[in-house]
Amino acid sequence: MYNKNAERRRVLKREWKNWALSYAMILPAMVFFGLFCIYPLCNLFHLSLFRGNVRNPYKSFRGIQNFVDLFTKNPDFVPALKHTAYYTAVVLVLLISLSVLCAVWLSKDRKLNHFAQSAIFSPHLVASISCAFVWSWMFSSEIYGLFNTILNAIGLKSVRWLDQPSTAMNCVIVMNVWKNIGYYSLIIMSALKAIPTEIYEAADLDSASPIRQFFQITLPMLSPQLFFLLITITTGSFMVFDSIRVMTNGGPGNSTQVLCTWIYEYAFLNNNSLGLASAGGVVLLLILVLITILDFRGLERKVHYQ
Amino acid sequence: MGEIVFHQVEKSFGSNKVIENLDLTIRDGTFTVLVGASGCGKTTLLRMIAGIGPATSGQVLMDGKDITDLEPGKRDVAMVFQNYAIYPTMTVRENIEFGLKNKHIPKEVRDKRIQEVCASVGLTEYLDRKPNTLSGGQRQRIALARAMVKEPKVFLMDEPLSNLDAKLRVQMRVELIHLHKQLKTTFVYVTHDQVEAMSMADDIVIMDKGKILQQGTPEQIYHDPNNTYIAQFIGSPAMNVLPLDAENRFGFRPEAVQLTREKVDGARYCRKGVIQVREMLGSETLYQVAFADGQTVSVKMLNDQYRSGDHVVLNVGDNQLYFFDRDGQRIRRAAVGDAQYAALLQTAGGMSDV
Ligand SMILES: Nc1ncnc2c1ncn2[C@@H]1O[C@H](COP(=O)(O)OP(=O)(O)O)[C@@H](O)[C@H]1O
Ligand SMILES: [Mg+2]
Repeated sequence: MYNKNAERRRVLKREWKNWALSYAMILPAMVFFGLFCIYPLCNLFHLSLFRGNVRNPYKSFRGIQNFVDLFTKNPDFVPALKHTAYYTAVVLVLLISLSVLCAVWLSKDRKLNHFAQSAIFSPHLVASISCAFVWSWMFSSEIYGLFNTILNAIGLKSVRWLDQPSTAMNCVIVMNVWKNIGYYSLIIMSALKAIPTEIYEAADLDSASPIRQFFQITLPMLSPQLFFLLITITTGSFMVFDSIRVMTNGGPGNSTQVLCTWIYEYAFLNNNSLGLASAGGVVLLLILVLITILDFRGLERKVHYQ
Repeated sequence: MGEIVFHQVEKSFGSNKVIENLDLTIRDGTFTVLVGASGCGKTTLLRMIAGIGPATSGQVLMDGKDITDLEPGKRDVAMVFQNYAIYPTMTVRENIEFGLKNKHIPKEVRDKRIQEVCASVGLTEYLDRKPNTLSGGQRQRIALARAMVKEPKVFLMDEPLSNLDAKLRVQMRVELIHLHKQLKTTFVYVTHDQVEAMSMADDIVIMDKGKILQQGTPEQIYHDPNNTYIAQFIGSPAMNVLPLDAENRFGFRPEAVQLTREKVDGARYCRKGVIQVREMLGSETLYQVAFADGQTVSVKMLNDQYRSGDHVVLNVGDNQLYFFDRDGQRIRRAAVGDAQYAALLQTAGGMSDV
C-alpha cells in the first residue's frame, strides 16, 4: 500500500542530502572568508573602542570617544578625509572618461592598435610599488628627474612636482591613472566589441551624428561596465595606499595624507593610538558601504542589462 | 518616386569578389523581392541601396540621381534588418522616434506620426516598454514601425520574417502586402524563401553567386524560367529535370503531371512507374514515382487515389515540357524555331514506354 509518511521521509532525506552537499562545497570558501574577513572586521570594531598599541591593544576602554576624537581633536584625520575625497573624485572622473575614450579609439581595427592595446595594458602587469618608484624618479626635482630635464631642455623652469603641496597629489593621481587605464580600457573595449554593428548602421540610416550615436547608443550600452567601473574605482581609490606611501609618504606637510596612510601612521608609527586608527578604519568601512549602497540605489535603475 | 538603378556595380570584400558587373532596375512603386540561396549577395545589394556597404565600383542611382556615395541618413530609405537592430537601451517610443528627432522634426508631428504608425502595427500599448520585454513578433513590429514612421521613398527589408514562427510569418506576409498596397512606395525585400518571394512580389529578382539570373513577375518566373537553377529553385517540390539526349535535358513540374492507370490521349511524355513514397499533406498529395530504369520523379496531385506500390502511368503534355541545353540554359521555341523545337518534343516523346 502507498505509504504517505515513508514517501515524505524519503523526500526530506533527499533534500537534506542536497542541502548538506551544497554547504559542504562552499565550506572552504566560507572558512577563509570568516577567517580573513569577518574575524578581522569584528576585531577592528572591538579595537576601535579601546586605547592601546600593537603590543597591548586593550589598555583602557574608551567607548565611542575615539570616534569623537577623530572629528574634533585629531588634526590630521579630517584633512586626510578631504584629500581622499579629492583623490577619489579626480581619479574617478579621469579614469572613466579616459578609459572610454581610449577604448573607443583602440577598438577601431587598425594595425597600430594591436600594439597600442598591449602598450596601454602593460602598466597593469607591473607592481604598483615599482610604478610608484619609476614615477618618483620621473617627477624628481634632482638633476636626474625626467620631466624637469625636459622642461629645462626646452627652456622652461623646473617644477618641484612632488615637493610642493599644490602639485604633489595631482602627480600621484597621474601615476595611478596611467597605471590603471589599460585595465579599465580593456573592460570597456570588450563591451564595445559586443555591441552589434547593425545598431550603428540603423543609427546611420536614422541620420544620427557620430556624437549622438556615442551618447545615445554607445554609452547606454556600456552602462553595466560603467557601473562596475564606478564601484571598483571608488572603493579602490578610497583605499589608495602604496603609491602614496612610496611617492610622497603623505607629504609635503600632510598634503597627500589619505585615509589609509593616516591609519598606517596612527596604527604602527605613533604611540598608543591603535584604537584611534581602528576607529578611522571603521569610518573608512562605513563610507565605502554608504557609497556602494548609494550607487546601487541611485544608479542601478539606469543600468541596462541585456 | 523611388526608382533604383544599379549600373555596372561591383563589390569585393578584400580579394573576394561578391558581386560582378551587375545591372538592375527596380521600378518605382513595386514590391521587388531579391531571392536566392544564402550567401549569393542579396544583403550586400540591399546594403548598397541603404548606403551602409558602399559599392567597390559602379553606380547606384535613385530616381536618376547618383547616390553611390551619399550618406545613409541623407537617402530617403528605411531598412528593416534581419535581426531587427533595435536600440536595446531605448523604449519602443524612443526607438521609433530616434530618426525623426535626428531630423529635427517638430514634436507635434512626431507624436502624430508615431501614434498613427503604432496604431497600424499594433504597438500602441507597448510604447513605454523596453524591447527586451517584448516577443519576437513585437520586436519585428518595432523595426517595421521605425521604418514606416520615416515615410521613406524606399523600404528595404532583409529577411524580416525569418526569425518568426511559421504562423506569424504567414500573417506578417499578408500585412506587408497590405502595407505596400496602402503606401504605394517601392519595397525591396530580401529573402531566401521562394514561397515568400512568389506570394509577395510584383517583381522577382533571382540571384545566384552575385549574378542576376532572371527578373520578372512571379508568373513569368514560374512559367518561363531562364534556366534549370531557377526552374528548380521556384516551386515546391522542385521541377523534375531529366536527361534528354547526349547534350540536352528536359523538365516538367510535379504539379503539371497527370498520374493515371492508363495512358492519356494527347500526352507527349508517358512513362510507366511505381509509387515509391506517398506523402499526404491534406489538400494535396506528393508521390515519388520510380521508372523501370531507376530514375525517380516527384509528382503533386490534388486527389489522393494511389498508394505506395501502385503501378501508374505518368503523362506530361507538350506545354508542360521545358528544355535546357548542356549549361542548363533554357531552350525556347522562339529562339530555336518551330522545327528544332518540334524535334526536341519528338525526342522527349520517344522516351515514352507506354
Ligand atoms: N563583411 C564581409 N566581409 C567579408 N565577406 C563578406 C562580408 N559580408 C558578406 N560577405 C560575403 O559576401 C557574400 C554575400 O553575402 P550576403 O550578401 O550577406 O549574402 P546573402 O544575404 O545573400 O545571404 C558571402 O559569400 C559572404 O561571405
Ligand atoms: Mg543576408
